[in-house]
Amino acid sequence: MDTLKMQIDGQWLDVTPGMTILDACRTHGIHIPTLCHLDGLSDVGACRLCLVEIDGNHKLQPACTTKVADQLVVHTDTEKLRNYRRITTELFFAERNHVCAVCIANGHCELQQLGYSVGMDHVRYPYLFPECNVDASHEKFVMDHNRCIMCTRCVRACAEVEGAFNWDVMNRGFNVRIISDFNTPWGESTTCTSCGKCMHACPTGAIWPKEYAQGQLKKNPGMIGELMEKRNMKLT
Amino acid sequence: MDKVEPKKILISPVTRIEGHAKITLQLDDKGEVSDARFHVNEFRGFETFCQGRLYTEMPTITPRICGICPVSHTIASVKACEMIQGIRPAHTGHLLRKLMHLGQNISSHALSFFHLSSPDFLLGYDADPAVRNIIGLAQQFPDIARRGIRLRQFGQEISERITGKKIHAMGIVPGGMSFPLTEENRKALLAWIPEVLETARIGIGIIRRFQEEHQEMVGSFANFPTHYLGTVGPEGELDLYEGNLRFMHADGTILQDQVPPEQYLQWIGERSVSWSYLTYPYYKPLGFEEGRYRVGPLARLNVASRMKTPKAQEEFLRFKAIGDGQPVHGTFYYHYARLIETLGSIEQIEQLLHHPDITSTDIQLHGRWNYPEGIGHSEAPRGTLFHHYVTNDSGQLQKVNLLIATGQNNPAMNRAVLEVAKQYVKGDALQEEMLNRVESAIRCYDPCLSCSTHALGQMPMVVEVYDAEGRLLNSRTR
Repeated sequence: MDTLKMQIDGQWLDVTPGMTILDACRTHGIHIPTLCHLDGLSDVGACRLCLVEIDGNHKLQPACTTKVADQLVVHTDTEKLRNYRRITTELFFAERNHVCAVCIANGHCELQQLGYSVGMDHVRYPYLFPECNVDASHEKFVMDHNRCIMCTRCVRACAEVEGAFNWDVMNRGFNVRIISDFNTPWGESTTCTSCGKCMHACPTGAIWPKEYAQGQLKKNPGMIGELMEKRNMKLT
Repeated sequence: MDKVEPKKILISPVTRIEGHAKITLQLDDKGEVSDARFHVNEFRGFETFCQGRLYTEMPTITPRICGICPVSHTIASVKACEMIQGIRPAHTGHLLRKLMHLGQNISSHALSFFHLSSPDFLLGYDADPAVRNIIGLAQQFPDIARRGIRLRQFGQEISERITGKKIHAMGIVPGGMSFPLTEENRKALLAWIPEVLETARIGIGIIRRFQEEHQEMVGSFANFPTHYLGTVGPEGELDLYEGNLRFMHADGTILQDQVPPEQYLQWIGERSVSWSYLTYPYYKPLGFEEGRYRVGPLARLNVASRMKTPKAQEEFLRFKAIGDGQPVHGTFYYHYARLIETLGSIEQIEQLLHHPDITSTDIQLHGRWNYPEGIGHSEAPRGTLFHHYVTNDSGQLQKVNLLIATGQNNPAMNRAVLEVAKQYVKGDALQEEMLNRVESAIRCYDPCLSCSTHALGQMPMVVEVYDAEGRLLNSRTR
């Protein structure tokens, strides 16, 4: 069977077996907000922004890791989902120390953009104000854990695209942190190639190039997908 | 007859200044004012919470200290960053920064004079507080109010036309500027010049007339000698953007000249007091008691040998004549000095806009961390400002010292309040006029106590009289 038929937001669509609901939506121009998804990288369903409602399934499912199926009926833009997306976004802001006004990524930040798009005008949850480290030991880049949302795009870009495996994840819950090598300063890494892919993959101002001023940061997350596309190209 | 207990008069909060403060007047047993304290109750903590951040973030963080003089903070900050990197800014970037700084100076001075202070001069100190503000001014002198508002707009438009933002602009960066000035914007700014020059002249006319008509009050209003600090160019000319420090003694002799700003710690000491979050800076060689100095427009004009531009120079000579060879100590002359600076700034802006390289795109050079320490300075609207950063070898800040203009004027502000209170406060009777005079003494310094918070016109004011044991004897709310 080459195509399946499924319904998204009341529309019957032809989709390719094996693709995710997110792929299907993007192919047909249906917008679903995401943060942890990045074209070219594997999906992990970490950010919970792309949750969708599926008829017959009482649990919300992440569109980025749920595969399409024949006759599936999916809703991507309901009152319930809009509410949940705003809650999720507010929790991102409440969890660490995001100060947009002085952030290097101000104006170029996917989290900030998301805040605008879900209509977040304030945060209803108490800020946790965790004490987070700023690792400036690397010659070219800075890792500011205050601004990290644990999307793990840097971890996957480093492992799946660069193949360096510098980044990893340590601890759980409130204490979860991105670590370099075995939780040593980034500047002392024996695996980092200083390629900068993690910086481009990072959706916020958590990883940024040193000596750059606010307003001058240009991240190009699209390069990750383009690199992978070129890598998989069959040259004849 | 029982002995009268010493009393304390509390004025809180002070209106029509930037930020919030309260004043306590201590009365002795004869009912005479014996001491005055100007309290700053807000704690900002910038020096502490910036620790651990990258030094390159400071030009973005520190302008948030104040919405009135953010450019001065950014300039001091990028200069400190450039010292850390060991670079100088790109040629046109340098010119554009000067333009931005002059623009901000004008908008701040316009706010201080036309919005906050001129109602006192045009409507009178005794006018009903409900109308003694910019709104009342607009009703009685609509042209002046409109011109004042537009002068401030002009200053902000310079920032907007270069960076796209009026306040907290992002464009000033280590190594120069992020944005060039387009030819279209250059012409648009030039078109403002005749109007704003005229406004500055009108402002000077207002203050000169007031000074002439109220000679006794102006001459005696918080008139006390202090030393002065300001920034001058190589020939002693007043410079708001760059140059070296000049310390002047209260008697007019030059104590130190052409001191590189990086050596500020050698000459300026700071002491903390328990009752205010502002520290007490002083000129080190003379010690804490004798070393009280002032900064800001009055200090700058006192220390300068000349202005850079002809119209301002003409006015500068008139100003100097007031002192007759001595520094002008009268606190009231801050207003006049502020307007002379405004006039000079407008003339300099016109010159810069005619500079052949002003629209060039040679705006930024790039550096990297090279040295652990950086010190930057600028002449903010309210006086000399220092940013001092010490970093580790990753560029993370370990120590931040921000020496703010209002902090340096703090000892003198206390003194000014005391002088005025002695003159106008008798016993614990609290007349409206007395309150206004005490406030007015502080407003001369245009103090920026914390941030862009500024109350236009009438704010609720609570005055309380305490006895020596801290019992509330009298209370008045307006």
